[in-house]
Amino acid sequence: MNNQTTKPSEKTGIVLNIQRYCSHDGPGIRTTVFLKGCSVRCKWCSNPESIRPKPELAYDVSKCTGAEECGLCLKSPFPEGAFYVVDGADDKIRVNWDLATECDEETASLCPTDALYMFGKELTVEEVLTEVEKDASFYRNTGGGMTLSGGECFLQPDFCAALLEGAHSSGINTAIETAGNVPWENVEKVLPHVDVMLHDLKLTIPERHKKWTGVDNKRILENFKKAYETFPDIRFIARTPLIPVVNDDEEHIRAVLEFIRPHKNVIDYELLPYHRFGTGKYEFLGIVYELSDFTTPSEESVQRLQAIIDEAFGRNKED
Amino acid sequence: MNKKTRRIAINVGGGFVPGMNTVVAGAALAAGELGWELVGIRNGFDGLLHPDHYTEGGLVPLDRKLIESLEPAGGGILGQSARVDPFHVRQVNEDNLAEEVDMSDFLLERLKEEKIDALISVVGGRGLSILYKLHRKGLNTVCIPRSIENDIAATMVSFGFNSALSFTIEMLDRISQAVISARRIGVVEVLGEQSGWLALQAGIAAVADAILIPEIPCDLHTVAAKLKERISLSRPYGLVVVAEGAQLAEKPQGQAEKPGSGSLKDSLSPGATGDSGEHVIQRSGQAAKTVARQLQLMLPEETYPVVLGPLVRGGPPTAVDRQLGLAYGAGAVQAVKAGENGVMVAFAPPNIDFVPLTEAINKVRTVPADSELIQIAQSLGICLGREL
Repeated sequence: MNNQTTKPSEKTGIVLNIQRYCSHDGPGIRTTVFLKGCSVRCKWCSNPESIRPKPELAYDVSKCTGAEECGLCLKSPFPEGAFYVVDGADDKIRVNWDLATECDEETASLCPTDALYMFGKELTVEEVLTEVEKDASFYRNTGGGMTLSGGECFLQPDFCAALLEGAHSSGINTAIETAGNVPWENVEKVLPHVDVMLHDLKLTIPERHKKWTGVDNKRILENFKKAYETFPDIRFIARTPLIPVVNDDEEHIRAVLEFIRPHKNVIDYELLPYHRFGTGKYEFLGIVYELSDFTTPSEESVQRLQAIIDEAFGRNKED
Repeated sequence: MNKKTRRIAINVGGGFVPGMNTVVAGAALAAGELGWELVGIRNGFDGLLHPDHYTEGGLVPLDRKLIESLEPAGGGILGQSARVDPFHVRQVNEDNLAEEVDMSDFLLERLKEEKIDALISVVGGRGLSILYKLHRKGLNTVCIPRSIENDIAATMVSFGFNSALSFTIEMLDRISQAVISARRIGVVEVLGEQSGWLALQAGIAAVADAILIPEIPCDLHTVAAKLKERISLSRPYGLVVVAEGAQLAEKPQGQAEKPGSGSLKDSLSPGATGDSGEHVIQRSGQAAKTVARQLQLMLPEETYPVVLGPLVRGGPPTAVDRQLGLAYGAGAVQAVKAGENGVMVAFAPPNIDFVPLTEAINKVRTVPADSELIQIAQSLGICLGREL
């Protein structure tokens, strides 16, 4: 995909979505480019459509008009056995996710109501930047810019670097969101083109990190420490997705503060209270959501932990 | 191949049902009678894919001596895996990156390495599709249907259903005594996301006042009217059995609720239909809660929800499941002996048959509108949620 001899503007990556007018992914109003593929498996993930690296089939049953009125997907060229109806219930199409893996973009596009569609598309740097540059005036007026998110955008380092470099060439501020679980070479390739790096510190204890995200955090912490030291001009913002019972405790918050505070270019630490907004997308993908029993953290709990952070950064309530 | 040296394997897919050992025992004893060797694969396919995770190498030789020492009522000797899909095996690679990899080719190679020439898999609906996919890649397979909800097509009774049914009836009896004592209306949710066999059969046995199943979208006003008719000073209680996938014929005014919808149940089911997020496969409780709340608005008596849910997956197997398990296990070995491949063992009373997997996948065994059970319920005066 990212041949070294390819011109930067022609490099391609698998893009999940380009979302305009974002206000929580870095300073000002921003356009966030979500890339596909992730190297951790957080059980609370709100973007399950970003996990797999390749484009994949999705199904929105509310758009299906049923087998009687349509039924196109029950016939060729749709894969045999991939779609079916249940006798006695309504005649909406069901997806056999195990047999639907052979349904590609071209086939899915035949669905007349777009109930079947694909998460993810291969785009060039130029195509992405054309979309991003549409809001250049907003960026100038608000101090915003382009943010690369995911998934884990460091998994597509050549595409990321070319995108960020292209944005810089157009005078657009750049930010990146990452969980940091990638080889350092990937980080090193991308960060020279980044102004702000928002990075997750989900759990500080390796065993607990592995339990809840599938991988331990040794390399993540090494990468972040090295990034703070190697790229002093980047503004780093640490973040913790706050998940009840998993990491919504003082011990974790203080451990993160201990990790980041020696580095003056880590300018803030944000808490992102757990939400369930992503659960609907699991259905579209036929994936079971594993964290159903968890609730959102209470406002009181968030405020209590936020106060610890504010104190560490020398902020008081009136600030 | 010399039949004396034939080596076959058995494994168990995700989702516990009572008496799994009886299926394993049935297959092992039948294989032993033929002079074949039967080995069990630990935890779905994991014992083959990751033999290094197990001190004994991931395969368990299932000889008569071992089988005779098994507790029929005990947990499954082979263990299970939450993920039995060799096409998407989650792992952390050498670079510490989490990923899902297709290990289906490796699995087929491992079977060859182990000189296993046929596989018997005890699986539910999803597992049947995975085994069918493996069969298309060359796996010689015979499947045994297991389902608490009895929703697998092409067989009259799946393994595990009868035990769940018996326990559900026992629990309904106990709850009935509780609601009589407390003078309340109990709304009991039982498993059954797409088919209502468990709710219907258990509800009939317990002579519930109303039974709500996914196949018959219900009108709760009709249910409330039936309860009003039944409840009196001398009978100040009621019992409603609701399948977790039950649906309302119409949404309550001003609300977007249905049994089976709500914050926990929204949007989680691969089998979902209707508006996005009407069903769930994992979580339970919302159907009972919704029905109890709506009935409470229409009735003076106190209603309260009770969720049996996955509780019925545990416990010892019934006499029927012990016999059925042994028969399914032995039947699968007979299928292999007969040269059957890509089939599911099916119970078609009084026979044990073999049906192609294509007849079982992508279908759900639902309660037909003209089912005798529906007629029985009606003749007993049990409300099914609407006039039929």
